[in-house]
Amino acid sequence: MVEIVFLIPFLTGIVAFFLPRTSGRVLLVLTGAAHLVLSLILWTGWPEPVFPAYFAVTPEGLLSLIVISLLFFLISIYTTAYLKKSDIRSENIFTGSMLLFLSTMTMVTLSDHIMVMWIAIEATTLASAPLIFTHRSAASLEATWKYVLVCSVGIALALLGSVLITLAMDIGGVDVPVSFSALTTAARQLDPLWLKAGFVFILVGYGTKMGLAPMHTWLPDAHGEAPSPASALLSGVLLNCAYLGIFKTHKIMVAAGLESFSGTILMVFGLMSILAAATFILKQTEYKRLLAYSSIENMGIIAFGTGIGGLGAYGAMLCLIHHSLIKSSLFLTSGNILLGFGSRLIEDTGSLVRRMPRTFVAFFCGFVGISGLPPFGIFIGEMLIIMGAFRNGHYVGAAIFILSLCVIFAGFANHALKISFEGYRTTVQMEESASMVWPQYVLLLTSLLLCFWIPDIFSRTITQAVTAGGGVF
Amino acid sequence: MIHLVDIVLSLVLLSILLSFGSSRLPVLIRVIGFQGVVVSSVPLFMGHDLSAFGIAFSLATLSIRGIIIPLSIYLAIKKVAIRQEVEPIYGHHASMLAWLGLIVAAAFISGKFNLPAINNHPLLMPTAIALLAGGMFLLMGHRNAIAMVLGYIMMENGIYLVGTTFSTSTRHIVEFGILLDVLAGVMIMAVILQNIKQQFDDVDTSLLRTLKE
Repeated sequence: MVEIVFLIPFLTGIVAFFLPRTSGRVLLVLTGAAHLVLSLILWTGWPEPVFPAYFAVTPEGLLSLIVISLLFFLISIYTTAYLKKSDIRSENIFTGSMLLFLSTMTMVTLSDHIMVMWIAIEATTLASAPLIFTHRSAASLEATWKYVLVCSVGIALALLGSVLITLAMDIGGVDVPVSFSALTTAARQLDPLWLKAGFVFILVGYGTKMGLAPMHTWLPDAHGEAPSPASALLSGVLLNCAYLGIFKTHKIMVAAGLESFSGTILMVFGLMSILAAATFILKQTEYKRLLAYSSIENMGIIAFGTGIGGLGAYGAMLCLIHHSLIKSSLFLTSGNILLGFGSRLIEDTGSLVRRMPRTFVAFFCGFVGISGLPPFGIFIGEMLIIMGAFRNGHYVGAAIFILSLCVIFAGFANHALKISFEGYRTTVQMEESASMVWPQYVLLLTSLLLCFWIPDIFSRTITQAVTAGGGVF
Repeated sequence: MIHLVDIVLSLVLLSILLSFGSSRLPVLIRVIGFQGVVVSSVPLFMGHDLSAFGIAFSLATLSIRGIIIPLSIYLAIKKVAIRQEVEPIYGHHASMLAWLGLIVAAAFISGKFNLPAINNHPLLMPTAIALLAGGMFLLMGHRNAIAMVLGYIMMENGIYLVGTTFSTSTRHIVEFGILLDVLAGVMIMAVILQNIKQQFDDVDTSLLRTLKE
């Protein structure tokens, strides 16, 4: 009964639409807890899917699922406190959409059929659109419109790519189920030309959703306009779901012996995203958009690492996990800053260290982590990617990579220091409730812990996922 | 049977021409609805799967693509009484010329592919490509938000044509899931359209400019 993991949030999501205000909050946390328990049970390996033609438990799926589950549980606790303080008009739509969003993202991690994967990823767009529109301002309307249109059109191209892969099956005379696992096994018999075409369309399509430049235009707007808990979900896990679609197709390419083709494209898109993020981060005026561009940067890093293969692919997987943990904590922290200062502009903030000391700790640790400094996990991931790039002879790529990371660090540090310390003399403290700080602490500590101690089963699963995606040691 | 399919496909090509040439939104919506009906009836004429189940699915597809989706957009614009003329950014004459170029290019490209599965239907591949490219063209060539949504639907029609006719390996249930996603997407777009209209008193997307960088 693997499917129950996404059916439960689906049902509670629908129920939440009809509930009065406060009971929706309780349902959110309860579903989050139940989802976390169910995801942990999936790790034991005994539940079997009821529809094995469409769903399967894969190593990369398990990794994404546990990250989604943990994040959602912590974010749901934060959300209950956040909702008390912010003025969101139709709260039942917000909580209901959050739960449906969780359900669709879980479905992405578990789907094995190419088309079901597409259905699930498109469903994440639809479930999250109301979240972005929550504030009902002109700007949020624009962000929602851009998000739905750009992502729907982008993902339509991924559908075309999926169809082209079935065409590669027909021409190659392969008669297997249209699932990622079956296709990876039979990859050598697929028609290489149509498989390549399919990969390109899938990369552009899901890459739009993942936020790879130049298809990233919706991302900063959507992340900036959505309420902070929703931004944390969008950035922390939605982008991973889209990456999963690309990663699984890349796995087919690796099995078909075409990894140099797909790897090169991934590297190019990855570097473009990092460069685009570097240009926009330097002159950013809003801190939530700053974080959004940092997400584009990290997705670029992950795509670059996956494209390199070898050690880089392992580093990319580490970056994927740690980016989710750290970035979602940062977005939650940005919610505290927004509630405290009442403005999204960086220039209106300052002296966080005095005004909100506990939020400051979460913000600064998050900044250190996301910039790729030790002792957080992104440091190890980026290090491995750079080593992998040199080992595989991608010197130019590595040079661009390192240079743009330096630029991004400089830009981010400039803004982060302004937010943290400018106007240091103020002594007015702002109110911070405990449940709006400790979820971030837990997320950051998890990232820290995973650097020093990875449970055996966890590291085995990472290795399994990476090996199938062209990673070697 | 073979000729029948080609006749149906030429109707699709005609609908693309009409969509490029029409300057009134209700007409454009009707054209897209007509296109939906024709495109979803192509599998019936090809005789791939004429079981009762297959026919039922085709009819359901037909009613969603041909009736429900256009109707929901029509109702959305009727409710808010949107200015009904649309003008492509580059004008109608250029659009017509683009249509011609599109058909020629599509026919030229599909001649290169030489796919055994569709050699009986020479118009199939050009039509699919023309639908995809035409949808994109409509999407990018308009500032009117409704025309953009219609462009998206046209693209989806093209992908549907590619999917159902080229390969028989996808299952009906999956196809139906895809269709439901598209339907829900269009419904959400219709809701956003209404909100844009209420907020800005028009659906011109050049009004949406606060978030530009």
